[in-house]
Amino acid sequence: MSTTAPRAAEAGTRRPWSRIKPIWVGRVLALAAAVLLVVYPMVSDDLYYQNMIILSLVFAIGASGLSIISGFAGYISLGQGAFIGLGGYTIGVLATKLPDTNVWLWVPVAGVVAALVALVLGFVSLRSRGPSFVIITVAFLFLVQVIAVNWVSLTNGTAGLTLPLPTWDRDIANWPFYYVLVGLLALQLLMTWWIRRTKLGMGLIAIREDETKAATIGINLPTQKIIAFMASALFVGMAGAVYGYYLTFIDPRGMFSILLSVQLVLSMLIGGKATLWGPVLGAFLIEWLNETANNDWGGGNARLFLFGGLLVAVVIFLPQGILPAIESAIEWARTRGKAGLVGARIGSGGSLASLTDRVELVDRAEIPDRAILEVRDLRKHFGGVRAVDGASFAVPEGSITGLIGPNGSGKTTIFNLIDDTIRADGGEIWLDGKRIDGMPSWQRAHRGLGRTFQITRLFREMTVLENVVAVQRRFTVGQLGRIAVSGAEARAADELLEYVGMRAFRDQKAHALSYGQQKLVELAQILMLDPKVILLDEPAGGINPVLIERMAEMIRELNSYGKTFLLVEHNMPFVLGLCDPVHVLARGKDMAHGTPEEIQHDPAVIDAYLGDDFVLEEKVEAPR
Amino acid sequence: MTELLQTLLLGLLLGGVYALAASGLTLIFGVMRVINIAHGAFLILGAFVTYWLWDAFGLDPLLGVVLTTPIVFGVGWITYKLVVSPVRTAPMASTVLLTFGLALVLEGAMGEIWGNNSTAIRPSYADESFTFGGLFLPKAQVYGGLIAVVVLVLLWLVLTKTWLGRAIRAAATNPASAELVGIKVASVAALVFGIGIAAAGAGGAITGVLYPFVPGSHYQWIARLLAIVVLGGLGSLNGAVLGALMFGVAETLTSAYVSPAWATAVPYAIVFAVLLIRPQGLLGTRLREDAVAA
Repeated sequence: MSTTAPRAAEAGTRRPWSRIKPIWVGRVLALAAAVLLVVYPMVSDDLYYQNMIILSLVFAIGASGLSIISGFAGYISLGQGAFIGLGGYTIGVLATKLPDTNVWLWVPVAGVVAALVALVLGFVSLRSRGPSFVIITVAFLFLVQVIAVNWVSLTNGTAGLTLPLPTWDRDIANWPFYYVLVGLLALQLLMTWWIRRTKLGMGLIAIREDETKAATIGINLPTQKIIAFMASALFVGMAGAVYGYYLTFIDPRGMFSILLSVQLVLSMLIGGKATLWGPVLGAFLIEWLNETANNDWGGGNARLFLFGGLLVAVVIFLPQGILPAIESAIEWARTRGKAGLVGARIGSGGSLASLTDRVELVDRAEIPDRAILEVRDLRKHFGGVRAVDGASFAVPEGSITGLIGPNGSGKTTIFNLIDDTIRADGGEIWLDGKRIDGMPSWQRAHRGLGRTFQITRLFREMTVLENVVAVQRRFTVGQLGRIAVSGAEARAADELLEYVGMRAFRDQKAHALSYGQQKLVELAQILMLDPKVILLDEPAGGINPVLIERMAEMIRELNSYGKTFLLVEHNMPFVLGLCDPVHVLARGKDMAHGTPEEIQHDPAVIDAYLGDDFVLEEKVEAPR
Repeated sequence: MTELLQTLLLGLLLGGVYALAASGLTLIFGVMRVINIAHGAFLILGAFVTYWLWDAFGLDPLLGVVLTTPIVFGVGWITYKLVVSPVRTAPMASTVLLTFGLALVLEGAMGEIWGNNSTAIRPSYADESFTFGGLFLPKAQVYGGLIAVVVLVLLWLVLTKTWLGRAIRAAATNPASAELVGIKVASVAALVFGIGIAAAGAGGAITGVLYPFVPGSHYQWIARLLAIVVLGGLGSLNGAVLGALMFGVAETLTSAYVSPAWATAVPYAIVFAVLLIRPQGLLGTRLREDAVAA
């Protein structure tokens, strides 16, 4: 198997194995299943299976919707069943209060109601993550149930609601439910597929992988999450409405049962979360087991054993789900005995100007003499530790400014404060003439701030290319819908990856890369932001000398296009050969600053940091 | 006035029982960062074991705590070894799902063994009360509350005064360093899980006497217990006790003065509000998130 980049680019798809036949096997299987699904009611009038398929379709829509927030964005919800219930109740209440209207009219209304309630859950996700979020979703479900029980005037309480019976011909009894649900599933899958390919989807996966980091590359967390939550409930609410109409009787116990949510989560997990077909496969599998447990194994407790036992087993033995497991088995078989690409030599890059026409040299004389980034009296305390204690310094526009100082002097904390990875206790931060403290990370990124991390923070489960295209330079709702994984965005990312020498790795998952390779990808990622100021946290740390040289070369080249740099580094030849001015940090504040020459001879700096025996080896050592 | 005082006292007694049950949940979270959704199910298991000892052998249900607790401890310890330890380091959301699955299995198992009908433990003093100064306090509630306090104090002594307690706290603060100074974190975790479950079991033995129960009651319990530990701050024992007392009082007040129907909504509303307004709870601390381990 050739590993050259251009061929990979031509194939243009995300997963390496999609270049070979299994994808076609998969597509043919999916198509066959779809055809079977569509013709089934016409060729068979077996009501047992029709019923099972109708329920499976409802759960498939629910699980696929769930996959948008839980699979992509990583917010596991045990409250997803509530949207099916809300859909059912919307149609139930409206159909009984307004008996003269066509019941089908309420199906889209139910979708809107579900999406609006999901908006509330979306706001909740802004404040809580991980396990607290799971707990909140359970509380949310029960709260909705309690309201449905107690708001008797609307919902008729525990007695439930009876919907009008279908008016159509008995010969086609289930057909309308069946085909409306097939249509809704198709819409749901289309939406999931589309989201996965857009900036929105990239942003959601980035949020799952590392939410704090996602914000620093310009991803507007609240908007993205709220859109995701609404999208995850829209068609589910409609499916819930059809489900309610199909059942003709709804009550709070049935519609808001926690087991409904468990069934959705199980379907998604077993099939494979964040995959397109996994939740559908899972839903059909679980519903079949569910019916079997109900009819052949005695119902009630058997269902509990089944769902509970499966949940335990899936978490322990099959955390990634069936489809991803098959995928990795194929990948394993295909690459067995072949050398990994991850050890390949890193490309030599070349100049960025030769790769793209989006950069041009700037005339040094035209750069205004002003600070593009300035911090004033910045403070951050951790308990009694004053990590940053009144630091003030300025980064002149067009400069490569160095920030040095002993370990624990507050360098990385200052970076964290500048990009709002942590919020400062006090002080001001100015970027390009605007005060930015008080802004969230993504707004700072949109204003031209890019930052790499000392310990690289790539999105581990995303490919190298996806890591770069996940970046959002500005925020408009329109650009969230832009296709990210191909087209202009992908081309721009390719150029940057070529520049840093990592293009050959574009389809590798980020976690497969070495530390040094990750540093390069992170640089490309930041460049995708097209920032005015680039903060680099130890760009030369932990990488080989050739790469250090290349890093210095790239910094200089980017600087010649007008990019301003602020870098933290312990490699003195690197810093002193590259930076001017240099700021020395000690005990959380700016202790000295000046040209590299001045810093090397400043007695206070020698005492606090460099040490008496510090001699910068001959200038040849310095990267030039 | 007397009525209010009586409601408050009953609320506090109930709060003591809640504190016992919730202490296990918060302890398990504190040490292994696992939110044990099956905690309510173990509590109901404690109630069923108590019922069985009382029904089959005539053992007094409240004194039976002495037997119930070790039995439930054993179940908890085995459960840990079998299903929780393989995923101890997995992301928290997966352990939430795992323990949720565990709760469902336990619910099904209890339904198979004891049936899904409402079960009540009614010792001879179930209908008797202490009365003084116009106050009217059911004996079962008074005994139950006192036993809960005794068990809690024992638990507190173990945690603060013994080597095991220091090992547990060390493992909770920094597992890697605890290993370095000779603490077998895996064994400590298994013990803590057992102890936490045992506390739930003891709580279940007491509440089994106070209220009738079915296997499905565990949903209500886990909601209540989560509300308590979330209110107090996940992982904080003192927070759990404080949260439990406040919760017990709030619940008795709501059902006495508002309506029992809406009292069921109280825990969910609290979870919602606390996690949104002050996610770290009353006594919890926020962790420093920026210091990434290399």
